[in-house]
Amino acid sequence: MSEMWINMGPQHPMTHGLWNLRVKIDGEMILDVDPEMGYLHRGIEKISEDRHYNEVITLMDRCCYVAGFAWEHLYIQSAEQALGLRPPERAEYLRVLCDEFQRIASHLMWYAAFVQDIGLMSPFLYGMRDRDLVLDLFQSYTGARMTYEYMRVGGVRNDVPPGFTDQARKVLDWLSDRFVEYDQLCLGSTIFRERCDDLGTLKANDCVAHGVTGPMLRAAGLKRDLRKDRPYAAYDRLEFDVAVADSADVTARYLVRMEEMRQSVRILRQVVDWLDRHPGPVLAERLPRWLGAPYAPIGNEGYLLKRHYAKGVGFSAVEEPHGEAQAYVVNDGGEHPYRVKFRSPVFANISAARQYLVGYHVADIPPIMGSVDVCVGEVDR
Amino acid sequence: MASATLYSVSDGLASALLHALGSVLPGPARAAVTNPNVIVGLAVLIFAVILLAASMLNTILLIWWERKLLGRFMDRRGAMHVGFAGLLQNFADGLKLFRKNTFQPQEADPLGFYTGPCAYMVTSLIIFGVLPISSGWNAGTLPLTLLLALAIFSFAPLFIFVSAWSSNNKYSLMGGMRSAAQMIAYEVPILLAVVAVILVAGSFNLTTIVYEQQNYWFWGPLVVALIVFVAGMLAEMERIPFDLPEAEAELVEGWNTEYGGMLFAFFMLADYLRALVGSILVVLLFLGGWTMPTWVPGALTSFPLAGIFWFMVKTYTVFGLFVWVRASLPRVRTDQLLRVGWNRMIPLSLLSIFLAAVLVTVKCLPLLGCVPGVGS
Amino acid sequence: MASPITAKEKPSENPILFVARPMATAARQFAKSLIRPATIVYPYERLEDPTFRDRVAVASGRPIGVGHVWDNYRGVHALNIATCISCNLCAFSCPDLCIEMVTVPGGDPKHPKKCPEIDYGKCSYCGFCSDACPEGCLTMTTRYELSVARRAEMVYSPEKLYDVFRTKLPMNPIRVERPANEDAILLDPPLCIGCNACSRDCPTQCITMLDIPKPAAKPGEKQTKRIWKEPVINDSDCVRCGTCISVCPKECLFWGTRK
Repeated sequence: MSEMWINMGPQHPMTHGLWNLRVKIDGEMILDVDPEMGYLHRGIEKISEDRHYNEVITLMDRCCYVAGFAWEHLYIQSAEQALGLRPPERAEYLRVLCDEFQRIASHLMWYAAFVQDIGLMSPFLYGMRDRDLVLDLFQSYTGARMTYEYMRVGGVRNDVPPGFTDQARKVLDWLSDRFVEYDQLCLGSTIFRERCDDLGTLKANDCVAHGVTGPMLRAAGLKRDLRKDRPYAAYDRLEFDVAVADSADVTARYLVRMEEMRQSVRILRQVVDWLDRHPGPVLAERLPRWLGAPYAPIGNEGYLLKRHYAKGVGFSAVEEPHGEAQAYVVNDGGEHPYRVKFRSPVFANISAARQYLVGYHVADIPPIMGSVDVCVGEVDR
Repeated sequence: MASATLYSVSDGLASALLHALGSVLPGPARAAVTNPNVIVGLAVLIFAVILLAASMLNTILLIWWERKLLGRFMDRRGAMHVGFAGLLQNFADGLKLFRKNTFQPQEADPLGFYTGPCAYMVTSLIIFGVLPISSGWNAGTLPLTLLLALAIFSFAPLFIFVSAWSSNNKYSLMGGMRSAAQMIAYEVPILLAVVAVILVAGSFNLTTIVYEQQNYWFWGPLVVALIVFVAGMLAEMERIPFDLPEAEAELVEGWNTEYGGMLFAFFMLADYLRALVGSILVVLLFLGGWTMPTWVPGALTSFPLAGIFWFMVKTYTVFGLFVWVRASLPRVRTDQLLRVGWNRMIPLSLLSIFLAAVLVTVKCLPLLGCVPGVGS
Repeated sequence: MASPITAKEKPSENPILFVARPMATAARQFAKSLIRPATIVYPYERLEDPTFRDRVAVASGRPIGVGHVWDNYRGVHALNIATCISCNLCAFSCPDLCIEMVTVPGGDPKHPKKCPEIDYGKCSYCGFCSDACPEGCLTMTTRYELSVARRAEMVYSPEKLYDVFRTKLPMNPIRVERPANEDAILLDPPLCIGCNACSRDCPTQCITMLDIPKPAAKPGEKQTKRIWKEPVINDSDCVRCGTCISVCPKECLFWGTRK
C-alpha cells in the first residue's frame, strides 16, 4: 500500500462541523494535509448589507454557534463606532459578563469535544453538563440558550433580572470546583499525557506567520491577548492575567484554555460585584429613531430619502474564545450598513493545518484538530 | 450441587418429547422416533438451542448493563424507556437493525463482505460450547477446553480483516489492519499469562481449573498474570482504551464502517459476545468460576442454580470493571499500543510464568492464597 | 498588573498511579450520579415546572435550578387579537420576513383589521417583533414544542396565536421601555393637501384633521372653495409606526424632533 489521500470530512466525526480535511497518508503517517472550507457558507456578510443595524445581530449569533456573544459584541462595537454612539457603562459591564460567560461556555464545549476526540467518554458529558449551567444563566436574562440577540447598538436589550448575580456567583463556585475534576481526568491520566505531549507543535514564529491567534498563540508562549493589549468594553477596569504556556503542543493548549476559564471566573466575580453596586441604564439615551428600541426600523422609502446621518466606518477586534476576531463596518449614512467584513480567527488557525499536522500519525489528527477548537460557523460565515 | 446438567436436562426434554410423540404414532413410526440415536440427536439440538439462546440473551443483557453503567459514569441515566429500566431497549434496537436494508458498496467483494461478519459471529458463538458455566453446565469435558476456547477466540482478526478489506473503504482497511496488528500482538501475552494459570492448576481443562480454585482463587497468587490477562482482553475486545481499530474520532467506525443493518448487528453482537467470553474467562481462570469461598453462608450458595447465579454475578462485575475503564480512560495510539504490548506485556507475562513456577515448586500456594479461600 | 503566568508545566507523573487518578474521579462521579443524574427525563420532567426545577437543583447539587427565570424564554408568540391595533410594526421589524399581516374579522370594511400571521418555519425567535409591539399584544411565551407533521402547519394564523394567548402561559416579562425623547412625526405644511389619508389609516386614531385658516385670496383671484385641513398628531398616543408617512401621497410627513 503506497500513499493515498483520504477525506476526513465533510461528514466525519473528526471535523466538528462541516469542513473537509484532505489527508495524504502513508500507512499511519501523515504526509500532507489540505483543509477545505466553505461547506457552511451562508453569505452573512452580504446579507448584512441588506439589514438594519440591529437586525444584523440575529446573524451574528449564527456566525459562531458556540460563542454567539463574542460575535455580537464584535459587530456591535464596530457598528457603534461607525454610527458614533457610546453605550452606557453598565452596558459595557454587561457585555463583559456575556463575553466571559460565553468564553467559559465555549471552552467547556471545546473540552467536551476534545476529550471525545481522544476517546475519553465521560468527561464529554461533564463538559456539556456544566456548560448547561452557563446557558441557563444566559436564558435567564436573554431568553435564549444559544441565539441570544441580546446586545443592541447603543447598549444591551435589558438589564439582568433580580437575583441573577446570586445565581451567577453560585455557578462560578460550582465551575471552579469542576475545573479540578477536569484536570484529574485529563492531566492526571498517563494515557492522556502520552497522547498529547509534544503533539501538534506550532511555535510562536509560525503562529505569527500564519496569523494564528488565541489560545494556540498563547500556548506557544506569546503573551498576546486583546483584552489586555487593546482593551475594549470594561476590560481596562478589570483585573486578570493572561494565560501563557510555552511548550506549544496540545497539552499546552489544554493548559491555556483551562487557565483562561479560571481567569474568566476571576473576571466574572468582579463584574458581578460591580453590577450589584452600580445600577443604571443599559441603553444609550439618545439613539437615532431607527435604532431606538423597542421600535424597529421601518422600511419606508420616503423616510429614507429625507434622513441624513453622519457617515463613518467602524473597526473593532475582540478576543473571541477561539482567537482574535475583527469586524469592519462601513456606514454610508443609509439605514443598512454599506459593507460588513469579518475576520475569523479559526479560519487562520485551521489554514495553518499543514504546519502542525504533517509528520504525525493519523490517530493524532483528532487530538490536534480538537486542540485547535474549530467552529465552522465562523470559518465560512 | 444437584446432578442436573445442561445435557441431562436437554436429554430428558428430548426423550419426553419424543416419547410423547411416539405414543400417538403407529408402531413402526413409534419405534423410529423413540430410537435412542434419534433421542440423542434431538437432545444435542435442544442443547445447542439452549446454549445459543442463553448466550445471546446474556450478550444483550450485557449491552444493557454497559449502557446503564456508562450512563451513570457520565452523569446520565442510560436506556430507560423500553421495558423496565430500558431492559428491552436492545431488543428494540436489534429489531430495528433487522428490519433495515442490507446494502453492499459497489466495488466491494461480495464473498468476503458477507462471509466476514457471519464467520465472525459464528466463531464467537462456538466458544460458548466449551465454556463451563457451572458444574456440568457445558458441552462436554474435553481435556483441552481452555486451549480450544483461546484458539477459537483468536480467529477473529482473520475475519475482521477479510470483511475490512473486502468492503473497499480506506477507513475500513486501516481499521482492519490496526485490528489485525493489535489482536496478534496481544494474543501472545494473553497466552503466556494463561500458561501461568495452567502451571498452577495443572490442567488445560477449564472445569478442573475452577475446581483447583476451591481453596483459593488464583487472582491472589497470580495477580501479575491477572493484570496482563485483563489488559490483553481489553485489547482483544477492542474496548477503550484499546479501541483504536474502530477509533470513532479518526476512522469513522473502523473496520465496520461500510456495514449496516443486520450485518452491522452481527459485528455488534459478536463484539459483545467476545466481551462476554473475555469476562467469563477472567472469572474462570482467576475468580474461582462458580465456586464461592467457604465463609459465605451456606444459604447463599446452596439454593438451586446457585453456581450459575454467582457465576453471572462475577461475570457482570468483571464486565463492569471494563466499563469503568472505558468511562475514564482515553484511547491510546497504535504505536503506543503495540509498544506496550511487546515491551511491557510480554515481559510481565514471562514474569508471571516465573512466579507461578516458583509457587508451584515451593508448594506455598495455600499460604499465599487469597483471602476468600483460606481455611477451607 | 500581575506578571504573566505560565500554565503549570508538566507535573512529574508517578507511573504507579498510571490510570488510577482518572478512574477514581470517574468512580466518584458514578457514586454521585447514582443518587441523581444531571439529566432531565424530558417528557416526564419539564423545565418549566417550577417545583421540579427546585427539586432537581437541590437533589443533584447543582447551583441553579434548570432554567432559572424560565419565564424570560423566547418561545412561540402569543397574540391578543383584541388589543392589536394593526400597526404593522411587528411585520416591519421582522428580520426574517416571517410575519405577514392578514385580515381578521372585527374591522370595518374600509379599514380591515390586520393581525400578524407567523411562519415558524422561518422565525428565528429573535424577539424583535414583541419588542416592537407598542400595545404589548404580541408577546413571546415559554412554549417550545413545535413539531408538526406538515409544513403548512408551521404557519400560525392570528387565531392560532390567540389560542396560545388564551392558554395563559407565562409571558416574557422583559419589556423594553420607550426612549424618553424619541423622534416624532412632523408635518411639512406647505406640501399638505389635506387629503385625510394619514388620519384615516392611523391605527391609533391619534391624527385629527383640524381646520386651518384659509389663506387670504390674493388681489384679483377668486376665493377658493376648498376646505383647508391639516393633520395634528397627538404624540402621546402615537406609536411611531409610520403608517401615515407611508400613505402620505405628497410625502409631507417625516421623522424629526419636535421643538
